[in-house]
Amino acid sequence: MIGSGAKPVRVVVLGGGTAGWMTAAGLARMLGDRVTVHLVESEDIGIVGVGEATLPHIRGFVEKLGISEAEFMRATHATYKLGIDFRDFGKIGDSYIHPFGSFGEELGGVGFHHYWLELQRRGLAEPLGDYSFCVAAALANKFAPPADDMSLASSYGYAYQFDATLFGPFMREFGLSIGVTRHEGMVTQVERDGESGNVTALTLEDGRQLEGDLFVDCSGFRSRILGQELGEEWEDWTHWLPCDRAAAMPCKHATDEIRPYTTATAMPAGWRWQIPLQNRMGNGYVFSSAFIDEDDACETIRKASEGEPLADPRILRFRPGRRRHSWSHNVIAVGLASGFLEPLESTSIYLAQMAITYLIELFPDGAIDPADRDEFNRLVDMEYDRVRDFLILHYHATTRDDSEFWNHVRTMTVPDSLAGKMELWRQAGRIEKYSDGLFYDASWIAVYLGQGLMPERHDPRTGLVDPERLRSATDRLRSEIASSVSQMPAHTEYLRRNNARLAEPA
Amino acid sequence: MSEPRQPPSRIVVAGGGQVGVLAAIGLRRALPTCEVVVIGLAPGPSAFADRASSSLPFTNKLHDRLGIEEAQLVLAAGGSYRLATRYAGWGGEGQHGLVPYGGAVDPALQTRFAQQWGGGPQNVTGDRPAGSIAEVLVNAGRFAPPPPDADTPISEVEYALRWNQPAYHGVLVEHAQRAGVAHVSGMIAAIQLDARGGIASIAIDGHGNIEADLFIDCTGPGAVLASALPEFDVIDWHDASPIRRVLVAPPGQPMLHLEDRISLLPEGWLCELAGRDGLQTMLAVGETVGDDAARAALLTEPAASLPVSPGCARTAWVGNVIALGDAAVRCEPLGFLPLDLAHRQLDLLLEMLPGKDVVPSERAEYNRRAGLMFDAVRDLLAMHYAAPRARKVFPNAQTPAAVQVMLDQFARRGRLPFQEEAALLKQEQASLLAALGFPQGLSTREQHLAQQDITAAQADFAAKSQAALAFAPPYGQWLASVLRTNQAQSG
Repeated sequence: MIGSGAKPVRVVVLGGGTAGWMTAAGLARMLGDRVTVHLVESEDIGIVGVGEATLPHIRGFVEKLGISEAEFMRATHATYKLGIDFRDFGKIGDSYIHPFGSFGEELGGVGFHHYWLELQRRGLAEPLGDYSFCVAAALANKFAPPADDMSLASSYGYAYQFDATLFGPFMREFGLSIGVTRHEGMVTQVERDGESGNVTALTLEDGRQLEGDLFVDCSGFRSRILGQELGEEWEDWTHWLPCDRAAAMPCKHATDEIRPYTTATAMPAGWRWQIPLQNRMGNGYVFSSAFIDEDDACETIRKASEGEPLADPRILRFRPGRRRHSWSHNVIAVGLASGFLEPLESTSIYLAQMAITYLIELFPDGAIDPADRDEFNRLVDMEYDRVRDFLILHYHATTRDDSEFWNHVRTMTVPDSLAGKMELWRQAGRIEKYSDGLFYDASWIAVYLGQGLMPERHDPRTGLVDPERLRSATDRLRSEIASSVSQMPAHTEYLRRNNARLAEPA
Repeated sequence: MSEPRQPPSRIVVAGGGQVGVLAAIGLRRALPTCEVVVIGLAPGPSAFADRASSSLPFTNKLHDRLGIEEAQLVLAAGGSYRLATRYAGWGGEGQHGLVPYGGAVDPALQTRFAQQWGGGPQNVTGDRPAGSIAEVLVNAGRFAPPPPDADTPISEVEYALRWNQPAYHGVLVEHAQRAGVAHVSGMIAAIQLDARGGIASIAIDGHGNIEADLFIDCTGPGAVLASALPEFDVIDWHDASPIRRVLVAPPGQPMLHLEDRISLLPEGWLCELAGRDGLQTMLAVGETVGDDAARAALLTEPAASLPVSPGCARTAWVGNVIALGDAAVRCEPLGFLPLDLAHRQLDLLLEMLPGKDVVPSERAEYNRRAGLMFDAVRDLLAMHYAAPRARKVFPNAQTPAAVQVMLDQFARRGRLPFQEEAALLKQEQASLLAALGFPQGLSTREQHLAQQDITAAQADFAAKSQAALAFAPPYGQWLASVLRTNQAQSG
């Protein structure tokens, strides 16, 4: 029985990384006097600090906590992000941007990409990105917040690129300021109720015991409570997403210009990221240890980096997959303790935020109702599965045959849920529709077309339109986009306009 | 290189009711090169979508897209406006609540707000302020459709249209003729199947064989074309929906009202639809209610007694045949759902418009999404029968597992899980459940909301209400002036 009625629910969060402090701060802020939040962390355990690049949802999180954007950006050395530039994925030499925005506009009930396919067939199409305000702005290195009207300049969102090792500490400061209690120490034992199996307390090495009603496991891959103590089964997805390591090496900026987008470049055994922060460039190689060893990967990233290295490459190890249940008994795992999907689409922080949001929505106010736990697990599974399929697509939709890694991902059997989506795209140029979860039509279209996966057929209505009229209408759109984008400030200039969001120079 | 699909050369729409004709208009507008032929079969009396005199706000959007003007429906088809539906007696005798469309309060505060301020279950004796701008307008009898492009104090208010059914049908037929839709009348004498699980052609008395690439079955609950296919299969909804008969009263006095009413009686539910041509009343009952009891509840001799056998197509699209409206879903006309569902199915078909050849994955996606729509409607109906007093009136109605989860979430946390392809917005559904008398819980988060936030929301709402009342004219006066102006212009 946990805190019924007026008694606050005692929450114990294990782990002081990004997920742990996001959870602690989120619960304390959103549930206020309905909870007490204690967090245990140990200086002896390093944090992974995943996710330097984020998705637009992070803005909602920061806003809801009542944190000012400038303050947050200053603390985490953040820059603005309009999307991800994917290079060499479909084939070497290809490049496309997956924007936080749309392509063109629907016309007569037919999606823009169908018209684009028709123009392309007739040799009248410009690159798809030319018809996206967000892509055009990104490629021009421009940035301004989206407009608040129905204009083209309202057709996108934005996120941040920040220093993940600073985000956790920033959330810690914030969490402490709103009443989260921090405990330093290592957990030596998890105490459980003999009858229900619920966790009752965490025992620390010095004998202290932290009792709680609800335990949030943010202990990273160790999954100290959910995995180790409760034995919650792990569903492994390595066969679909073989990358299981990253070699991270921050560098100085090679140029003065800071790009408002992240770059993901496909490599022989994975891909490498470039994430421009205010004072440095995040850099790293995400790779599969089955196809390249760690030393070679470190050497590869050293050679590939453009700016002067600020540190030696650091190896991070992970495995893609998730726990069968993220909530078991009175334990909820958030972040890596619950599951991991590689950072190709910057989803790590989103997945933690998503779990926190659902936890708040389903927060137990008395005894835990199994219905709430089931609902939480259903939602988390749905989110993970949708992101997983979208990530697999990036590897599978390729013609690359220049390495064993690409041969493997190109020819592997994909999940049925993805195979169905790809079949629908191939046969009819259509996107399987859902309105819950992550990545809607524009995202799928960006990747399909960006990676050269052309459908065989598109909508019959596009063949009935006069191609010249279509061409002039789409030309108008392109030139409107070009002219609006030309009036936007450069990303670097916009960033520096307000000193409050700028970190001290490194 | 991707090629455009070859458009169909001919589409046959079987069924000349309001669903079939609107489908033909939509298809013809989308594919001007395609011959669209309506086979003018009258859908049977239990075709509740085809015979509906009202729908939900989605229909207005579909009409807009298909060039059917609202003003024309007001002038030529007895059109009138409904801002909300009152549910009476579902939670208990004397209890009632109003369900408006859209959402006119801050969603972040809606749940707590609704409970403290209005919108929740309402007692006749209880003196509670309105819970939505729609309710404010309904109570004051003030409304005129706001100009679409201007930002007015009532632009957030969504509404549904009612019409005179034969006149509305006539307007659609005119549109279809202007759009070049062909019309053939005659009975279906034979159906020739093709080798791919669909139909090759149908023989019409006096017209011979008509071949087509696609066949849209709008023939009503009989699903004349679809049921000729061996693969076509119906999922029974008898467990979830207890209604077996709908008794229709003769039309009553003309009535101008911004709300309609659905009341729960000991015999079943009674829907009273206001209209410029007369109040329409119908009573829906289960199999245990005899003629005398039904007559007594209806307070008059019924003009018609229509059987209902609730169920839906397992897959609405089989081969090259797409069952639409009553042919796909047979359900009682509760909450104006049958026609709304037919229109959303049609919209889905227009979104996923097939070419001359049917692509299996596209058909599968259509069936997946249409199936989600059907499930959501079944669930919505079942919620009505799970209401506190409805359980006594319909003791044999079973509540589907998904609905149990939803009701449990609502009761304990005031939360409604997201449902893909649902008929109602979350906020509409929350108002409906409250009006049906389900107690609404508060989430931990809402318990924590500060009183000043709630006070601020209340003040904001009060200001919006005042602005809405100042802006909206008395509804009756407005309507009379519109009709007068039109008469003067045409006379």
